[in-house]
Formats: sequence, structure tokens, C-alpha cells
Amino acid sequence: MTALLEVSNLHVEFDTYGGIVKALRGVDFSVESGQTLAIVGESGSGKSVAMQSVTGLIPMPPGRITAGSAKLRGKEFLGQRRLDGKTICGDEIGMIFQDAMSSLNPTMCIGDQIAETLEVHRGYSHGKAFSRAIELLDMVRIPEAARRARQFPFEFSGGMLQRVMIATAIACKPSLLIADEPTTALDVTIQAQILDLLQSLQKETGMAIVLITHDLSVVARMADRVAVMYAGQIVESGSVDDIFYRSAHPYTLGLKLAMPSHSEGEDHRLRPIPGSPPDMFSPPAGCAYCERCDRAMRICQSDNPPIFTLDKGHLSRCWQQHPQHTGASEGLYKAAPVSVDEVLA
Amino acid sequence: MWSYTVKRILQGIVTVWFIATATFLAMHNVPGDPLSSDRATNETIRANLEARYGLDKPLLEQYVVYMGNMMRGDFGISFTQQNREVNDIIREHFPVSATLGVLAVVFAALGGILMGALTALYRNRLPDYIIMFLVIMGISVPSFVFAALGQLSLVNLNAMMGFSVLPVAGWGTVSHMLLPALVLGLGTMAYLTRLMRSSMLEVISSDYVRTARAKGVPPARIFTRHQLRNAVMPVITVLGPAIASITTGGFVVELVFAVPGLGRYFVQAVQQLDYTVIMGTTVFYGAFLVFMVILVDLVYGWIDPRVRLK
Repeated sequence: MTALLEVSNLHVEFDTYGGIVKALRGVDFSVESGQTLAIVGESGSGKSVAMQSVTGLIPMPPGRITAGSAKLRGKEFLGQRRLDGKTICGDEIGMIFQDAMSSLNPTMCIGDQIAETLEVHRGYSHGKAFSRAIELLDMVRIPEAARRARQFPFEFSGGMLQRVMIATAIACKPSLLIADEPTTALDVTIQAQILDLLQSLQKETGMAIVLITHDLSVVARMADRVAVMYAGQIVESGSVDDIFYRSAHPYTLGLKLAMPSHSEGEDHRLRPIPGSPPDMFSPPAGCAYCERCDRAMRICQSDNPPIFTLDKGHLSRCWQQHPQHTGASEGLYKAAPVSVDEVLA
Repeated sequence: MWSYTVKRILQGIVTVWFIATATFLAMHNVPGDPLSSDRATNETIRANLEARYGLDKPLLEQYVVYMGNMMRGDFGISFTQQNREVNDIIREHFPVSATLGVLAVVFAALGGILMGALTALYRNRLPDYIIMFLVIMGISVPSFVFAALGQLSLVNLNAMMGFSVLPVAGWGTVSHMLLPALVLGLGTMAYLTRLMRSSMLEVISSDYVRTARAKGVPPARIFTRHQLRNAVMPVITVLGPAIASITTGGFVVELVFAVPGLGRYFVQAVQQLDYTVIMGTTVFYGAFLVFMVILVDLVYGWIDPRVRLK
């Protein structure tokens, strides 16, 4: 069975005054119908660029897709507006964004903004689309939908606006919903409500969700599969259990150590990952994480690791997983730690 | 909304009163008066005239009397033009200036909004460079140069065609208005183009335009529904004062095109210290400006719901 969305070898660059930023350097992932894929990673790792270049939302120029493919139900659509007579954006793929407050048109009433999707893709009359918009507002559990539909974004709270965004995105019953940090701007209780809403809508409609986030607790709650991104590449991907309980890539391990936990008996100190991500104007020849990795070896500096398959569906881009790597063979480490005595001598 | 409107109107009245008072004081502080001319007048005649016009009374009394008359809508009689009421001068000549001014603003607004949006959509490409070059010309070249150049090319055009395509000067028909209105509006058009360009650029990169694209809305509809309406706000804000300043500031263009507007009387009155005409035209123009600003604030509320409902 082919996956609903299959992205492979995606390369994206941006022209800037400082030079060419290599934002994506070969990204592969796929999502099945009814499943949730979480893409995690720190700011600038390419999570949003990956999804926005697939849907054609990155500004081109300065952006440029230099290689790759994106298939919906096995059919290539990268760089196209329509596929099989359906528009991709808004019809096949719905999208919601981080800051709902600024993501809605301030001079257009809520109902009109939801209705617009139906007018454009389904050819509904304004009246029909507007009454459908009220039903959708009901569906995302906004009380007094009929009255609220005539109000404007500034009359709504952040959580309510995110519900409006969801209503707009699912208006045409898309097969895939891309949620780009949908709860980052919201407080935790509202966040929980929004996530619940997404889950129940997914159950009702059977749509797939790609959830972009840097919040691992959101991942644990929502995702079926997880892809961890670092410096424009996916460094580890697998099921939620693979990522949380059998993490293989040092970066994933680092992220987990940097996450607060409530379990007793553990060291409660958060351990940040030292250093900062590499310069994307000239990404390193070797592994991009090498500089910050406490397990780095000589080969990590010179050669970017390929993707190794650990189990079925659990992939990692790290030399540690090379079949010939046996463990802590000291000779492979790039440098032994320098002791205080040596410095003084 | 009603209390807002009433509040704005009351504020406007206070503003106009302030304009009138300031003008009155400034005017009387200028050396000389409307009765001092080159012709030698003897003391008796002068005293008689001063008594007739009330200029011999203390300034405060003159002020009270003038304000009283003004509130009844009487701006008095001109000192230098025989038997002409200031009200008549305004009534006859303001409509000419206003027609020209409104037409100029229509040209300026349409041109500015359209070209501004175009430059933003084609940012850093050929159309942007061409229009921005013209805009810099429009801002830096004074209107009388454009007026003269416009007339010159019109003369040549008429000679080439063998009949009068458009009249070169004068007033009366719509064809008389087109060139002066265009020339009068050029500076404002250039200014509005720049304003529209920067506000459009901001809107283009806004989150809600990205949302509209994510919804799959076609570019033309994004332009009309999402970009234009939000980008046009700053332009609307300056439109009211622009109408007022174009209408009142068209003196030079009116002179070049021999348009019988109010601007000529305004300037003449100051030169001749014609007290009543100075007061009348200044207060009238001031009130007009205040009115346009209030009108724009109300229109603004109609376009932007955030203003309307607060």
C-alpha cells in the first residue's frame, strides 16, 4: 500500500545577501492515512520549510527547490498547484499555523474567512458557504457559532482563533492536515483542548496529520511516528516508542535529557546540549551534529553518515549505528579529553 | 459610534475656533492695515474710514464683534474689492477649487494605490524600478514645471492633430479640468505610491496572506480580498488632509492654467492685508481641512472593524 504523502530527497535553498542557505539537505518522510507524524527539531532545523516547500508556500525566489519529490497517493505533485483536478492547498491539504492571532485577516469576519475555502474549491454560493462555516464553527466547539461567525479576529481569544484556523483548514475535508506548531502560542490548558480537538477530528475524518513542534510532550501525546530534524536533515525517525524508549541518535538523546521530567529518583537537573547548530551557509562536510556530540568519532568530521535501519521503520543517521561499530572503541574517538594535568604540564 | 462622531465634531469646532483666533491675532500684528496704501490719505479721511470699519476700537472688541458675526455665518465685506462680500467670493470660487482638488485627489489616489501595489508585487524587478524612478521625479519636481511642460506638450499635440484635443488653459468643461487636475495631483500621487508600496510589502509578507495561500485562494482573489483592503489603510488616513491641502494649495497650478479658483484670492488678500478676506478664506479652509479629517476617521471605521467597534 502506498503512503498518503511520501516526500523523498527534498533539497531546498534560499538566496540571501549573506549567501545561499541550504535549508533542507535531503529530507525523506512519509505519512499514512489516519496517522500522525510529528516533526521535531529546534528553531531553524527546517521543520516548517520542509512542509511549506512541499505545499509551495515558501516564497520563490528567494527560495528554491533544487531536488526531491513529493507524492500524494503515489502521484508526484511537487511544484504543482493542482493534482487530479483538485487544488492541493486548502482542498487536499489543510494547514494551520502557529500564531493564529496574526494568521487571520483582521478586516474580514470569521465566517467569511472559513467560507472562502468552500467558495474557492467547491464553488459554493456565499450564503451556502457561510452557513456551512457556522456548522464548522460548531464542529470545532465554538459556542454561539452563528453570532461568532459575524465577528472579527480581534474579538476572539488565541485559543478560539486556533479553532477557527482548524475549522478553515478542515472545511474541504482534506486528506492531510499540516499543523505548524499549532499550540506554541497557547497556554497549557488551551493547548490540551486544541490537541484533543485535533485528535477527535482525526478520528472522525480519518485524515493524516503532520504535526510540526519542538515540544516533546505534545509529540508523546499526539504522534504515531516521529521524525527528528537537525540542520536540514532528518537524523532519526521511527515510532513514538522507538524515539522515546529506544532513541538511537545522540541528538535525540540530548533532546530527551534537556526535557523536564517528573519521575522520582532521577537527576532533576536539565542538561542543555552545548554549542549551537551549524552555519547553514556552509554546512559541515561530516555529520552536522558532530561539533556538539559527546560521542563523536573521527569519521563524523569527514563523512556525513548515511541512514541506517535499526528495526522495521526505525532509522537513524549516525555512524554509531554502523554495523561494524562495536561500541566504545577508544581509537575511533576524535580526541581524548584533555586532563587538567596535561594543560599545566 | 454616535458618541464618537459627536465627540469628533466638537473637537473640530474647537480646532476651527483656535485657527480663527490665531489668524486674527497674527493678522493684526502685521505692520500696516488694509487702509494704508501708496496714495496719501489725510488724517480725517483715514479716521473716518477706521471708524466705518471699526478699526479704531480696541482689538478685543474687534475680536468679539468679528467672532459674533462669524458665528452667524457672516465673514464681512472685502476691504479692497468694492462691495464684495467674503461669502460671495467663497461661494463663487471655492467650488472651482474643490472640483479641481477632488478630481486631482481621485487621480492621485487611483494612481497611487495602483502603482504602489504594482511596485510591491514586482519588487526589485523592472516595473518597480521604472515606477519608483517616476515617483522620485513626481516628488522632487515642483508642480509649476509639470504645469508648463503639460501645456507645452498639449500645444504640440493639438498642433500635430490639427484640432484641439484638450484646451491648454481656461475653465468651463470637463476637458478643461483634466490636465490641471493631473498636474495638481502628481506630487500626491507620488507620495501615495510610496506609502502604498511600503504598506503593501508589509501585507504581502504577513501571516494572514500566507494563510490565504494555504487555503488555496487564487492570487487575484488574495490581492483583492486580503492584500488591498489591509494595505490601503494608511493611504485612506492621509487622503482627507490630502484633499484639503490639494484644494487649498492649488494656487500656482490655478494661476498657470487660468482657473478661477479661490487660491488667487487667498494669496492676494494676504498681500493687501485685506483683513476680512484673510479671515474668511483661512477659517473656511481650516474648517474644510478639519471636516475632511473627521470624514476620513469615520470612513476608516467603516473599513477597519477594529476601529468601528471600539
